[in-house]
Amino acid sequence: MVSDTTAAEIERRRAEEAEAESADIDRTPVRTYWQLVRQRFLQHRLAVIAVIVLVILASYAIIVPTVTGDAWRTTQLFRDDAPPEVFAEDGEFTFAILGYNEYGQNLFARLGKATQTSLTIGLAAVIIIVVIGVFVGSIAGYVGGWVDNVLMRFVDIMLSLPGLFIILMITAFFGQGNVWVVVFAIGLTGWTTAARLVRAEFLSLREVDYVQAARALGASPQRIMLRHMLPPAMAPIVVAATLGIADSVVVESALSFLGFGIGRDSASLGTMLQNARDYFFSGPLKVVYPGVILILIVLSASFLGDGLRDALDPRQRVEK
Amino acid sequence: MTARHVGPLLEIKGIKTHFFTQDGVVKAVDDVTFEIGHGQTLGVVGESGCGKSITSLSVMRLIERPGKIVAGEIRLNGENLLDKTDADMRDIRGDQVSMIFQEPMTSLNPVFTCGDQIAEAVQQHTAVSRREAMDRAVEMLRVVGIPDPKRRAAEHPHQLSGGMRQRVMIAMALSTDPDLLIADEPTTALDVTIQAQILEVMRDLREKNRMAIMLITHDLGVVAEMADEVVVMYAGKVVERADVRTVFGSPHHPYTQGLLLSIPRLDERRERLEVIKGTVPSPLNLPEGCLFKRRCPHRMRVCDTAPPYQEVGSGHFSRCWLTPAGEAPDVGADAEGEEAQHAAEQLTVGAR
Amino acid sequence: MNDEGQTMTPTGATPGGDGVPQPGDEMSGGRTSAERAADRGGSAAAPLLEVDNLVKHFDIRGGLLGVSKLGAVRAVDGVSFSVTEGETLGLVGESGCGKTTLGKVILRLLPPTAGKVNFEGKSLFDLSSRELKAARRDIQVVFQDPYASLNPRMSVGEIVGEGLYVHGMTNKKERESAVRDLLKRVGLNQAHIHRYPHEFSGGQRQRIGIARALALRPRFIVCDEPVSALDVSIQSQVLNLLSDLQDEFQLTYLFIAHNLAVVKHLSTRVGVMYLGKLVELSDADELYRSPAHPYTKALLSAIPVPDPTVRRERIVLKGDLPSPANPPSGCRFHTRCPMAQEICKVEEPPLRDVGGGHLSACHFAEEVTPLGSERTSAQSA
Repeated sequence: MVSDTTAAEIERRRAEEAEAESADIDRTPVRTYWQLVRQRFLQHRLAVIAVIVLVILASYAIIVPTVTGDAWRTTQLFRDDAPPEVFAEDGEFTFAILGYNEYGQNLFARLGKATQTSLTIGLAAVIIIVVIGVFVGSIAGYVGGWVDNVLMRFVDIMLSLPGLFIILMITAFFGQGNVWVVVFAIGLTGWTTAARLVRAEFLSLREVDYVQAARALGASPQRIMLRHMLPPAMAPIVVAATLGIADSVVVESALSFLGFGIGRDSASLGTMLQNARDYFFSGPLKVVYPGVILILIVLSASFLGDGLRDALDPRQRVEK
Repeated sequence: MTARHVGPLLEIKGIKTHFFTQDGVVKAVDDVTFEIGHGQTLGVVGESGCGKSITSLSVMRLIERPGKIVAGEIRLNGENLLDKTDADMRDIRGDQVSMIFQEPMTSLNPVFTCGDQIAEAVQQHTAVSRREAMDRAVEMLRVVGIPDPKRRAAEHPHQLSGGMRQRVMIAMALSTDPDLLIADEPTTALDVTIQAQILEVMRDLREKNRMAIMLITHDLGVVAEMADEVVVMYAGKVVERADVRTVFGSPHHPYTQGLLLSIPRLDERRERLEVIKGTVPSPLNLPEGCLFKRRCPHRMRVCDTAPPYQEVGSGHFSRCWLTPAGEAPDVGADAEGEEAQHAAEQLTVGAR
Repeated sequence: MNDEGQTMTPTGATPGGDGVPQPGDEMSGGRTSAERAADRGGSAAAPLLEVDNLVKHFDIRGGLLGVSKLGAVRAVDGVSFSVTEGETLGLVGESGCGKTTLGKVILRLLPPTAGKVNFEGKSLFDLSSRELKAARRDIQVVFQDPYASLNPRMSVGEIVGEGLYVHGMTNKKERESAVRDLLKRVGLNQAHIHRYPHEFSGGQRQRIGIARALALRPRFIVCDEPVSALDVSIQSQVLNLLSDLQDEFQLTYLFIAHNLAVVKHLSTRVGVMYLGKLVELSDADELYRSPAHPYTKALLSAIPVPDPTVRRERIVLKGDLPSPANPPSGCRFHTRCPMAQEICKVEEPPLRDVGGGHLSACHFAEEVTPLGSERTSAQSA
């Protein structure tokens, strides 16, 4: 048993130690992990610009098709290749600031719709990729042993198959032209990389002391995975996901360009590029517009990925 | 100091190595002065962040951005290394001065054999054939106590154990017969029995080659066994310097005293360890005056003024206000401002 | 020595250095419960923790699905010892000797290959998952690396309070006040409860780790190299804290470290491991005074003395540690042992009592001489 004097002595000494130790910390404001993440992200100039670009593109993709309604697909023969305008001759608000294509479709509206389609496909496909990838990867990494081996050999098999070919088969088989078929085709073929990333993270995290400490405290596997392993593993996943958006948008464009993606009754960056192909010399701008949007999406997504990777890494110091 | 001291091999005079980070200037090494005589072993002791490694890298001129040596002189055999061109420095490194690091695996190239790497070091500094260089490499491996050196020379670093790798590093460092070996925590990553082997090798070679060693370590035991003279660093400054017996027998600076009392010893049973309270101050928030004052049991008002670097005994220097007898300075424990500054200047003698 | 009232009263060495050390107290003061436990001996009183012939092999696997066994690293190979309530059992050995693995098996962080570990007579390996969770309240751990052992995404409050939450203290207010109390007890500022690990120094982080281990009021703590990653001046702070807490909470420690001086300072008894085997186990002072195994002696002699006037007999071992995947025959130490004879290559020496509960696994334990040391004052080392 501890006598009273000892207890008082210990108390006094602890208080003294605490006081001696706290000087340096007290000068800095309390910052949570996420505040630090935000600070680090904001230091990454290109990533911030990328976010702004993506926000502009997303607003464009949401607002313009809403405002212009069906204009993106309404063919107006008398307006084929008509020059840019904001109001039609009859005073109607057309918002055709990029002019019209050979079918008399409002290019600005059509580009908005195409951006919307491509971004939707990109996001939706990435969600599928991340969900399947995290699920498979975390089980393989946490459980290990033969489960890991079986899952990873399956991943190897998936990776050895030519992706675009599989996607083409799926879209050809399940209904060409449907946005969701394209999304699933991309998602089902694309999760393998994410699964590998998550598995690798989980395998190394399993041995990290704080995960071991949580096990020693009696935390359940679910809690350990969700609280201690998934958050740090999310950093590479988020990076992979942002890059995955870019990838998916490109794959969709390629599909549509080949005629296996979104049908002619819809619009995507790929279909617009394909349509414009025939007018490459007479109307090069028709290629440039969707091309620029495609490049902007891909670049912004990868810069965003870079910024997030640095921001989510707790080892990175915050600079003022 | 020993009698061999004719003209020191290495003279470091008031060097300042600062790192210009976005948070502010980190004065990693701030006005450090000491010298190492031919064949002498100087122990540089201190805790992490005290600037001991940066001092050694400064001598090698291996400071990288955002760090910069902003002041001082580093004289090796009388020549100022800070005036040398990069090409000259490359010749000096590995020839006159060699360095070994804590983690040998990161300093050895994994794709070449150990023999190749040592031979290459030899060829870089002496005009010998490949064959002679290789012979020298095998010879060096034998010198550092690697059994079957011929076979080991043909092996890659990953095939060797940690202790073996450190021997290979030493063999490489010594292959060119340097005047000065800088050993930065050479045994910290090793087990004690392996550490004992490595220290034995270093002691042997020191005798044979009359080589000076700058031994950087946090392990006071290693210093006590190896060093002739000791420099104690704290927060970028030298706080105490004396020959090894004085530092361990009658340390003057409260930090040195605290360090010596805080280590558990095998040969005695202590109920409680003495502690130095608190932690090393953040380099971006150093206290005014004495850097150790927040943790010091003898703190006085006068400590708010930078303390003198005084000679408290023959060849024994200490950066502290306490008199050699450990009492408050003549100027008074509560002296402030110019009066205190003046007193500090008066007391600082002979050190620079 | 077994007087209940004689408690550890650390009046001597206060941080400020203003106390008066009591030289006469060196051997008898403090650690009373521990010393009482030692007096009774490991087997007389019912031990808190019993490790019986524990084996942990890591299989080296290969093949297409990675299921064919190619060999095994014999990290822990038949280790037995017991720990009495209130004592500190130190475990030393060099890297690769299996001491950390042993700790993890006891903590049930790694599954054992064979053998038994009993806690209060109950086998830890036969527990249902619910019983195991309950047992985890009693057995906690403090890790070496103060950076890797704290989740950087959780606040101090969440880290220290995790055990409380997991074991049913779901009320946030209640938990917070418990955490504040723990922070106070380990010498941290309670106001820092919402701070994140990256803001603290190594020593402070280690205190957070200790608070986390204490949260469930365990009876037994495995300290796995708790100070070896810390600076010298911080090491002593943490060591003092550990010994204060031991008295305050009547803790029993398994103290794993490679630094013999640190282990000896804190331990009642010390076990020495070599290549997965326990080669010597004895009272801490006795082990230092008269080692009964040549490896222990070599280990002791290899530790540099922080005093230039003392020259200690130095036994420099030949060669490197053999691979635990392919340990030598007979006595595992025979390849490096200065006393090795023919019999050592063939016959594995059992861990036997060489007098007074001092266990040694050496055929020639009686011939191991105490380590010589002398004080020189004439000439520098």
